[in-house]
Amino acid sequence: MQRSLSSFPFAPAVKMRLIHAGFHATADLCDFRPLQLSKEAGISQDEAEEVLQAVRSQPNQGRAAENKLTALELLEREQTLGTIVTFCSELDCVLGGGVPVGKTSEICGVPGVGKTQLCIQLAVDVQIPLCFGGLGGQVVYIDTEGSFLVQRVVDMAKSAVEHCSQLAEDTEQREALKEFTVETILSNLFLFRCHDYVELLAEIYLLPNFLAQHPEVRLVVIDSIASPFRHGFEDLSYRTRLLSGLAQRLIQMATLQSVAVVLTNQMTTKVASGQSKLVPAFGESWGHAATQRIILHWEGQQRLASLYKSPTYREATVRYQITGQGFRDVSPAYHHEASADPSAFSSGNAHKRPRVEEA
Amino acid sequence: MEVMDWDKLHLSSRIITAVKKANIKSAREILSLSGPDLQRLTRLSQPDVKNLHIAVAELNRKAQPITALQLYHGVCPTLETGHKLTLGCPVLDGLLRGGVPLSGITELAGESGVGKTQIGLQLCLSVQYPLEHKGLGSGAVYICTEDSFPIKRLRQLITQQSRLRPELPAELVHSIRFSDNIYIEHTADLAALQACVLRRVPILLSRGLVRLVVVDSVAALFRCEFQSDETIERARHLLAFANSLQRLSHSFQAPVLCINQVTDIVDNFDPAKCSYGMVDTRVLPALGMAWANQVLIRLMLRRLEEQGEAGDSSRTPRKLEVVFAPHLPQAFCLCRVKEEGVKGIRLLDPSPS
Repeated sequence: MQRSLSSFPFAPAVKMRLIHAGFHATADLCDFRPLQLSKEAGISQDEAEEVLQAVRSQPNQGRAAENKLTALELLEREQTLGTIVTFCSELDCVLGGGVPVGKTSEICGVPGVGKTQLCIQLAVDVQIPLCFGGLGGQVVYIDTEGSFLVQRVVDMAKSAVEHCSQLAEDTEQREALKEFTVETILSNLFLFRCHDYVELLAEIYLLPNFLAQHPEVRLVVIDSIASPFRHGFEDLSYRTRLLSGLAQRLIQMATLQSVAVVLTNQMTTKVASGQSKLVPAFGESWGHAATQRIILHWEGQQRLASLYKSPTYREATVRYQITGQGFRDVSPAYHHEASADPSAFSSGNAHKRPRVEEA
Repeated sequence: MEVMDWDKLHLSSRIITAVKKANIKSAREILSLSGPDLQRLTRLSQPDVKNLHIAVAELNRKAQPITALQLYHGVCPTLETGHKLTLGCPVLDGLLRGGVPLSGITELAGESGVGKTQIGLQLCLSVQYPLEHKGLGSGAVYICTEDSFPIKRLRQLITQQSRLRPELPAELVHSIRFSDNIYIEHTADLAALQACVLRRVPILLSRGLVRLVVVDSVAALFRCEFQSDETIERARHLLAFANSLQRLSHSFQAPVLCINQVTDIVDNFDPAKCSYGMVDTRVLPALGMAWANQVLIRLMLRRLEEQGEAGDSSRTPRKLEVVFAPHLPQAFCLCRVKEEGVKGIRLLDPSPS
């Protein structure tokens, strides 16, 4: 099959010259050398070289075959990528094992419900060694709100290490534990701080190179996508355009570099037909941006996580809690244990609410 | 918009000429344009545009990524240092795991007369102690939007400092001229508030005269200057205001305390209201979701109800509650407003552990 030269990403002037000189398809160029082509088409030798390189490095058949996968192969590929556990088994179950690598996930919720907690938990959990069923990966954490407090990462890293050391059975796992310490967890977390949308866009342009240099990165967190884009935009269609461009680059990054991309989003009040309710920010068009969407919300004193949009799994709502150790299941036994143990999280005089109400 | 000096880019002159020719002025324009759009404007090839994006992004980057371990060891002092500003009471500090973080907005909400201003004043004093006593060795700017500044109460607090902080050496407490380092701003309307935050406060911060900003209260002006049908306009102003405070806080590592009013819960089943997991409350912090999204730490101060109205209201214990914070559990402690300041009540741990 022939590919038309106009479909190549050449500079418009070069394209025009080529077509004027009678070159229309890749086959027309296959026997040319740069010098010859530059004379023939009236372009500079550098340009000619670039053109020939582009044409030859993309042999049509080869590329097409590479992209052709059967559904079975796709399924296998997806399974080898794995998932990142959340440490809330009910939520893992709903998500089919955890947050998928190679896809984008959006976490929405009101302030304080646990978006950042879930992100930090994932940033710790993605580093669990392979022999414990983890991914042994590194993390890129882009903080746009200033809500990343390293104190909290230390809390969660400590309890993850503790959790794994209780599970360790064979020598391989004990060996792996030597490398899985709070220090290594912190050193495998790369923190980027962005204060406005220009800085965020810049980081996203630089991220593919960073990921190429750090092939162990399995998770990219952006906490949050909302705050740099929530103010200072007079022209909302411009904002929508920026956001959809950003979403596209993130999806590309997730698939090409095999990372899980996790975004958090704020909630906003929407007034429709006299009734106001809370919805994720940026409206309907942004709703398409991520592959799956999880909404965290309150019901009385209970925190709930709802899988809201997913191509593979059924919508469902599960309960979770935030403890001193991190993002966890709500099970009566665990709950009791947690409230009897003030742990590193609550210090001295601080009491968890349930305990105080009993008293 | 910052005008970019394109010649600073490490790119071939061919690309730079093309950018200049396309009349693109700022890095922001380059970063906001998608690849195909930029190609169309500059008439460059796709690899050229990709290199252009990366080069501009690199030049625009203010800080290199660091690992959490470096952050933990305090390698990067402009980011989180782990240092916190003390509230001047070990019990209150314990609730906040050390004190108020230097970066971000801390909100303190509560009904009128509950003692929010007291905590604001107390911070204005504790910020003046040197770093080793968990202060920041600098002054404070106090922005009043409601009442006039309680100067009498401040004087009283200053004279009682050695009672509030008995652990500090007396000569240190007496050597600080507290009232000289508190800059008071009165803003009667929104425009004045914005001018204050955009012009005067940055000057004080950049000269090192202050390292704490207190806004008392953030609700007053935003609540009274907008009608109920102007919520979108109000949210826009609130976001801009919050953003300028956040920027100041991040760039000077200066804590910002915003005192907020509360609003009654009218309808328990209003889907647009979120009670943040609090079931036993009749009030919520004012200004709604638009503001809540901007707050790093939300605290609430309330009177204990069972004490009733009987007796001297200033003697009834208050409850300081963490509604949310990225590094704190939802917890509370009891405190009293005393002559020397707000002090937490150390409780004997009721649980068997």
